[in-house]
Amino acid sequence: MEILSVQHLSKHYPKFDLKDVSFSLEQGFIMGFIGSNGAGKTTTLKSMLGLVHKDGGTVSMLGMDFDQHELEIKQHLGFMFGGVDYYAKTKIRTITEVVRRFYREWDDSIYNKYMKRFALDESKRPSELSSGMRIKYSLVLALSHHAKLLLLDEPTSGLDPVARDNLLELFQEFIEDGERSILFSTHITSDLEKCADYITYIENGRIIESRTKDDLLQAYRLVKGTSEQLAPVQARLIANKTHAYGFSGLIKTADLESADHLEIEEPTLEDIMIYYAKKEGLNE
Amino acid sequence: MNNLLNKELRLVIHPLYYLTALFGALILIPNWVYFVALMYVLFIAFPNIFMNAKAQNDTGFSVLMPVRKRDVVKARVMSMSILEILQVLVAALFVAIGASINPKGNFLIDANLAFLGCALVMYGLFNLFFFPMFYKTGHKVGLPLLVSLSIAFVFSSIIEVLVVMVPAVAKVLDGNTPSAMISQIPVLAAGAALFVGLTWLAYRLAAKNFEKIDL
Repeated sequence: MEILSVQHLSKHYPKFDLKDVSFSLEQGFIMGFIGSNGAGKTTTLKSMLGLVHKDGGTVSMLGMDFDQHELEIKQHLGFMFGGVDYYAKTKIRTITEVVRRFYREWDDSIYNKYMKRFALDESKRPSELSSGMRIKYSLVLALSHHAKLLLLDEPTSGLDPVARDNLLELFQEFIEDGERSILFSTHITSDLEKCADYITYIENGRIIESRTKDDLLQAYRLVKGTSEQLAPVQARLIANKTHAYGFSGLIKTADLESADHLEIEEPTLEDIMIYYAKKEGLNE
Repeated sequence: MNNLLNKELRLVIHPLYYLTALFGALILIPNWVYFVALMYVLFIAFPNIFMNAKAQNDTGFSVLMPVRKRDVVKARVMSMSILEILQVLVAALFVAIGASINPKGNFLIDANLAFLGCALVMYGLFNLFFFPMFYKTGHKVGLPLLVSLSIAFVFSSIIEVLVVMVPAVAKVLDGNTPSAMISQIPVLAAGAALFVGLTWLAYRLAAKNFEKIDL
């Protein structure tokens, strides 16, 4: 079942446009939402939740239209927008006591279990926690009310490699039962290589790709060649960089020709992002 | 709704602000401008609570809970109204004490039931300007406070001037004897009704403004 579906979402700002954003996510998977800073990741997430007024498009979650069933849907959502940056000087215990009342399906035993597992101390205040701990606390809050869909805005930014790896393992665990899904935005693409099933890539307010990670990686190739070899392929390249010994560029696998005789490599997500960003830059 | 109100009382409004209601004791001062005693809640509690909420990113937290944007506004309007009502209740206590220790009354409006009714209207007008203006941005407190405090000040000044200059008004609003107080009950009731009506309107306008903004 589709747990999340965004169709033709648009939002106009004086200096930025979110154009025709569409993607969907099935139950039981993790989708990485990537794009450079200012590409429209947070705006998309906020428009999906009605925090920003969308100018067009529809959003449905858990099979319901978001605008019509906002309260019901929110009961089953877990969010994280940049860690717990609210009530920095209030004890976690107090924050939890306030939050738990909002959710019909709040489960104290799950809450206690994860607080213990993450070694989170209820008598501490968010300001006393590290970024990783704060993210874990928001995750505990999401887990404790049986959230079916987690929407996380850059959950791994600012974490050290060990904490990031921990968190990614936790994400895997979260979706294991096949009923829950995670959409998380990031610009740290190595995180997605570890755990994402699907990738949605946004650049300059437009969705460039939205498909399985493996399909996406197979759809592109990184090519390298000499300066002389550049001219015949340049029109087919998404973007290229030239240097003293020749060039390197990104090409759609379908556009490759055996006559090119280029050095071919499988790209990383980061390569795809970098070359697309370069292309967008050229168009401006 | 109750959950949001619980959040307001647990996380946003520091218990210290309930104590601003004790400024009602200033009603015991002989010959004074009693409206000022009831303005401390507007001077102290409103700016501090709103700036504190802003510093704590309260709005960012609240809108992520399973509530509607307008409920967030409603909870804040209700919690601040609770402070205003608390102030009037505490003031009522000091009105009663003041009437017994200061039977000669005041050169301006006496501390009596009509005064409390007028104070409720003053709060209602304050709310009507403050909340809709504040929720145009959801974070700027300065101008809304300046305008709504000015409105409260102008309203209370008009009442004071009328009581001093117009005998017919003084007859209805002035006097702190038991019989005068009984005849003022309709003024208090009308004030309470106006407070509720104006505050409700303030909520509706504020919620409409808040719905429009992108967070």
